[in-house]
Order: sequence, then structure tokens, then C-alpha cells
Amino acid sequence: MGADDAWSAEIKWLPFTPDPDPLALDEDLAERLLDGGLRPDQAPAGYAAVAALLAAAAAPSPAEPAGQEAALAELRAVTRARRAIPRATGRPGRRRRVGLLVAVAVLGLSTTGIAAAATGTLPAPITDTARRIFATADDTAPMPSTRPGRQPAPSTGDGAAVGAASQGQRPRPAGEPEATAGPGASNDDPCRASKTGKGADKNKKLNAGASQAPVEAAGDPDNVTSECQNSRPDGTEGDGQEKHPPSNGQGRGQGGEPPPDAGSKPGQGQAGPPPNSGGGSPEKGRPIETGPRRTSFSTSR
Amino acid sequence: MIGPTFPAVLTAAATGDEDAFGVLWHDLQPRLLRYFKVIAPGAAEDLASETWLAVIRGVGRFQGDEAAFRAWVFTIARHKARDRWRQAARKPVQELPETGLAEPLAPDDPAATVLEDASTRAALALIATLPAGQAEAIVLRVVAGLEVNQVAELMDKRPNTVRVLTHRGLRRLAERLGADQGPRARRAV
Repeated sequence: MGADDAWSAEIKWLPFTPDPDPLALDEDLAERLLDGGLRPDQAPAGYAAVAALLAAAAAPSPAEPAGQEAALAELRAVTRARRAIPRATGRPGRRRRVGLLVAVAVLGLSTTGIAAAATGTLPAPITDTARRIFATADDTAPMPSTRPGRQPAPSTGDGAAVGAASQGQRPRPAGEPEATAGPGASNDDPCRASKTGKGADKNKKLNAGASQAPVEAAGDPDNVTSECQNSRPDGTEGDGQEKHPPSNGQGRGQGGEPPPDAGSKPGQGQAGPPPNSGGGSPEKGRPIETGPRRTSFSTSR
Repeated sequence: MIGPTFPAVLTAAATGDEDAFGVLWHDLQPRLLRYFKVIAPGAAEDLASETWLAVIRGVGRFQGDEAAFRAWVFTIARHKARDRWRQAARKPVQELPETGLAEPLAPDDPAATVLEDASTRAALALIATLPAGQAEAIVLRVVAGLEVNQVAELMDKRPNTVRVLTHRGLRRLAERLGADQGPRARRAV
């Protein structure tokens, strides 16, 4: 540094003046530009062209835009479909109502049927059908063959009634067909009682009264079989209280065709219970009614 | 803008009134086309049609004022554009040889055109040169007429982010236009 040079302290520093940003943009100005509230001549330097550009971008289009017809066609289609929807949804509503009515009807009929069954006021055909169903179910069950004394349950399901029926005292509803009289009807037959009595001494005790009629009619106990055979075909001979149709040989009252030899051999006491088994039981006439089953039972035993 | 009659127009359009629907369509179709020309150039017409189909099917369930309806329509439009982008990504379009195309425009041509005739097309073309986020935010604010919050919701961004995007976009437009004005001024001299 020479003598002519000034001291640094003598240098007069100019104040620092940074170059202002010519494109400075505050938030308010930006909003006014974007909203279109700032005309080009009102815009600050540097943004007049931007204001003109944005105004041009947002200007209404002088040309009619194409595609309106296609949009209207779609609008028509959607409107038609929308109006068709309520009609389509009405069907399930009607179905629901019909289903509800059917459910109410079924419920009412079921309730009425149960009430009628509980009070015992069911019509005779319904009672008859129910007995047939129960008798069929019992007939197809395998257990009775292993339980010789078991009787098919009557419609009341009362065990006492079963015993009474086996004694020929089972009460029968009015109008009940005799063919569906059930197993008790077979024991009502004094001929069968007497046949059973041939194989079991104890049968004589219970069925003595009932077997007296054929014995008396035959004049000799040994002639009971022939007397019964003579009296069975027309069904007019019985215990004097009930008129039975021709037996099916099983004593089930099913009304079906009996097996060719059903009830003949058991009636001979071949497959009957041992003299000391089941004696005194109200079901001891059962071996005669279920001859084939008893045969298999006794064979297996 | 439709104005105070918008609720009645919307109700009538929802029930299938073609005149009322025409009012909505004339108000929004130009805006939709401009929006698509910026964010999906080349498919604006198709995307606008798809948008209107969706609007027609859903207008019966829409509830809100005119601003909300406009935001709803542009939300549908953006979804349509995004679907188109996804399809394009799955099925890349084969590039055509450049020899068969017209000579590309000079870089400063869009701005020069805007300054000369201020046409809408040139303005949109210049906006389309911005980064995608900035261009979309500016178009939604200027063309669609949506507020900051509506744009933020539509673009799934925060309002401050939208403000920054629009601010940067405006500044960049100013830079582009100023840079273009300089040579023109010098040529005029």
C-alpha cells in the first residue's frame, strides 16, 4: 500500500442495498391473480403478462363444446333405468307379503291342529291316519321282535291303555275302524286267547274268561281251533263285544295282507313263549300276532 | 357460475330434466376440457365424456351447493385421469418415429402466442409446461374456480402445500413470460 492510498477507515462505505426481487409475489397478490380480480394493467411489474394469461385461460369458450348430445343420451338412459328400479323392487316386496301370509296361515293351522290334538277333538279320519302312521312306524322298528310282549303304542301313548287293550278292554273312539283297532284287538279274540292258552298255562289265568266262549262253542277245548277256523272267515264270531274283520294273522290291525302262513304256526304254540316266561303279562298274546318274528326270536335264543 | 338457481337446476337435473342438465353441462364442460388439456393432453374429450357419465349416474345422490358440486365433478375428473394414467402405465404406447411428425414448436412459441392473441389454447399450453403439481393446482384454482381447501382435498395435499405450488407456478410463469418479452422487446427495438 502506497502513501497515496487512503486509510481503510477513510473509505466511505456505501450502504448495502440488495437488488430487490422484481418477481416478488406476496400471498395477497397471488390470490388476486388466481381469483381473476387483478387486471393486467393493475398487476405489478412482471405479472401483467401472467394476469393476461390467466384471464385467457379462464375466459368463456366462444365455441360450443361438443359432446352434449352424448351426455343427454346417457342422461335419458340413466333416468329410464332409475324409474324402472322401483318397479323391479316392488316384486320382492309382494313376494315378501305373500310369504308372510303363507307363514301366518301355516302357523295358524299348526296351532289349531295342536290345540285340537290336545283337547282330543281331532276328527276321526285324522286320528285314524295318525294311528296308522304310529302303527306302521312301530311295525317297521326292529325292537318288537326282541321284545315279544311289547305292544304298539296306541294313539294316547298310555301304558295302562295298552294293558287294557290287551285285555280286550281298550276303549275305542267312536267311528274308529276296526281294522285299525291295533294289537289289543288280537288279544280281544278269544280264539287267539285260547290258542295261546294251549301253549302257556298262565294264559289260561288271564284269558280264561275270554277263552270260555269258544270252548263252550266247541264243546271241547280240543275243538277250539277248528271252531275258530270256522268262525273267522266271516268275522261274525268274536268275543261277543266287537266285530272284527278277517284278521291279518298278525293282530296288528294294519289291514294289510297277511303272510301266507302268518298266525298259523304261532297259533299252534310252536314259537310261543316258554310256559314260564311272560306269564301274566297283558302282552302274552303277542307271540301269536308276531308269529314269524317270534319264530326267529325263539330260534336265535 | 350458475348462481342462486343452482339448487333448483341440480334437483331438476337429478330427475332427468334435460334442460337443467344442459345448464350444468354448459357451465362445467369447458372447464373440464381445459383441465384435461393441462393434465392429460390428448385425451381431454374422452375423459370429459367419462366424467359426465359418472356425474349423471351419481348426481341423484349428490347433496351440496354449487361450489361443492363443482369440486365433486372435478374430483371425478381427476380420478378418471388417474385411471387413464394407470392404464397407460400397464399398456405402454409404442412411440411413433419423430420423422413423421410436424416440426416441433420453438420453446418460446407458446408464450409468444399468448402475448399476441391471448388465446385460451395458448394459455393452457403454457400452463401445461409447468411441473404437474403446479399446473394442476393453478388450473383447479383459475379454470375450475375452486378454493384452496377444495383443491387441497382434491389433490390430497395440505392447503399450505397448494399455496406453495400455485405461488411457484405463478412465479415460473412470470419468469417465462418475462424472458420471452425481453427478446421480443429487443426485436421490436
